[in-house]
Amino acid sequence: MIKEQANMVSSSGLTGTALERAALSTALPEEPLIKIRTGRDDGCRPNFKDLWAHRELLYFFIWRDLKVRYKQTVLGAAWVILQPLLTTIVFTVFMSRLARVPSDGVPYPLFSYSGLLPWLLFSNAVQSSSQSLIANSYIITKVYFPRLIIPLAVVGVRLVDFFVSALMLFMMMLYYGVHPGRHLLLFPLLVVQAMLLTLGVGIWSSVMTARYRDIGSLLTVLLQLWMFASPVIYPSRLVPERWRLLYWCNPLAGLVEGIRSSLFGLEFNWTGIAISAVITLALLAYSVRAFCRMEEKVIDIL
Amino acid sequence: MRPIIQVRGLSKRYRIGKTLVAIPTLREALANALKKPLERLRGIEPEPDEMIWALRDVSFEVQPGEVIGVIGRNGAGKSTLLKILSRVIRPTVGEVDIYGRIGSLLEIGTGFHPDLSGRENIYLNGAIIGMRRVEIKKKFDEIVAFAEVERFLETPIKYYSSGMYLRLAFAVAAHLESEIIFLDEVLAVGDEAFRQKCLWKMKEVSRAGRTVFFVSHDLLTVQKLCGRVFLIESGQLLKDGPAEAVVTNYLKSFSHP
Repeated sequence: MIKEQANMVSSSGLTGTALERAALSTALPEEPLIKIRTGRDDGCRPNFKDLWAHRELLYFFIWRDLKVRYKQTVLGAAWVILQPLLTTIVFTVFMSRLARVPSDGVPYPLFSYSGLLPWLLFSNAVQSSSQSLIANSYIITKVYFPRLIIPLAVVGVRLVDFFVSALMLFMMMLYYGVHPGRHLLLFPLLVVQAMLLTLGVGIWSSVMTARYRDIGSLLTVLLQLWMFASPVIYPSRLVPERWRLLYWCNPLAGLVEGIRSSLFGLEFNWTGIAISAVITLALLAYSVRAFCRMEEKVIDIL
Repeated sequence: MRPIIQVRGLSKRYRIGKTLVAIPTLREALANALKKPLERLRGIEPEPDEMIWALRDVSFEVQPGEVIGVIGRNGAGKSTLLKILSRVIRPTVGEVDIYGRIGSLLEIGTGFHPDLSGRENIYLNGAIIGMRRVEIKKKFDEIVAFAEVERFLETPIKYYSSGMYLRLAFAVAAHLESEIIFLDEVLAVGDEAFRQKCLWKMKEVSRAGRTVFFVSHDLLTVQKLCGRVFLIESGQLLKDGPAEAVVTNYLKSFSHP
C-alpha cells in the first residue's frame, strides 16, 4: 500500500511527465559539463578555462570592494592619493632635507612618490590578499568559483588605486616642470610586470596565510624590511658596487627603478629589469601551482 | 535514458587529529617538522591522525527532471554530499560527472554585503551564485517584485528587516536558471506566508523539468516535493527509493530505540 502510494507520488506531476523528461535527456550534452575529481586525479593543474568563464565574477568582486570602501570612508577615493602623498611629505622632510639623500637629479618629492607608487601597489595588495581567503570564507564555503579569483580581485582593486594615484603623479610632474620623454613608452609594460610580481607574491600569501595564520603577521614585518631593500626612497647607486648583483635579485629593485626611469627619462638599468622579469615569472608560476595544490586542504579548514 | 548526474564511489575523509583541532600555527608546523624525524630516530611511533569518513562510497545516478530529497540525522553527511556535488569541497575518493549547469544554494543571500544597497546586492549575489550580468539585468524587475522591496532598492541592506532580507535573498536564488539545482534547508526560514511562497516557487521550479536536490529535516515538505528520497546515515547512502517508503522507514527507526 505504502509502496503504491510512493510510486504514484514519483510518477505524478511534481517530477515532470515522462515526455518532458525524455525531451530533456535528448538535450543533454555528450560530454559532462562538470567533472568532479579528487585533487590527485587531476594533478592540481589550474583551470584557466574555468577562470576565464568566471571573469564577470572577478569584475563584481573588484566592484564590490571599491564600492564598499567608498561608502565606508568619509574621504573615500581621496585616501588612494593621500596615502602616497603624505608618505612622500614625510620622506621628503626626513630623507631629503635632513639626511640629504640624493635623488638622481629629479626633485625628491617626485623621486619618492614615483617609487611609492609601485611599492604601495605591491605592499598593499600583498597585505590584503594575505587576508583575502579568510575574509571571504563565508562565500568560499558556500559557492563554487575558481578560488584564484579572490587574490586576483584584490590585486585588481589595488591596480585601480595605482592608476588613480598615478594621475596625481602626472599633475606633480606638471607642477615641477618635469616632462616624460619617449622612455614613457615602457611604462605600461613595467606596470604589467609590477602587476604580475604582485600577483605572484599575493596569490602565494593568500593561501599560505589561510593555512598558517601567522604568515600574516610575519608578512607585515617582512614588508617593512622589503621596502628598505628596494630603491623606493633612495637611489640604487647608494648600494656598494659589490653588493649590487645581490641587490638586483630583489625583484622589486629593478622594477621600481625601471618605472622611475621610464617616467623621468633616466637611463634604464637593463640588468635589474631583466632579473626582475625572470624572477617575477618564476614566482608567478610557482605560486599559482602552490595555490592549486593547497586550495583543497585550505578550504577544508576555513 | 541517460542520467544527468553520475556519482561513483564518492568518499570524503576529514582529519580530526590533534594537529588540526585548531588551525595550526606556523610555530606548531615548524615544531612538528623538527619533532617528527627526531621521534622516529628515537623509535617513537608518530601518533596517527584521527580520521573520520564524512562520506563513504556513495554511488547513484540521477535522471533529468528528478526531484530528490536527502534526509538523515545531523552530521550524517548530507551537507558534505551536497558540498561535493556543488564543488565547494573536493572528494577524497571517487568521481562525479554532471551533464548540465548547476546552481547551488547552500544558503541564500551568499555574499550579501551589509553596506551595499538592495540593487547592488542583487547584482553581487546573482553573480556569486552563477548568473551572468545580462541575465540578472533581464530578471531584475521580476526579482524586485518577488521580494517586495521596491521602495528600499537604494537602501543599504543593513537597514533591512530580517524579513525583507530573506525575501530579497530568496528572490535572487529563485531566479537562477540552471538544469540542476542544489538546495540546503533554505526553506527553513521566514514566516508561514513566506514559506508558502517559497514552496510554491519550488514546485514551479520542479515542474519545469529541472533536476533538484533538496536537503532538509522537514519530512513533510520532502514528501510533498520529492519523488525520490535518499536516506544518509554515518556517511553512507542507506536507502534510495520512493519518498513515501524511505520517509516511513526513517521514521520507524526512531519509534523503538
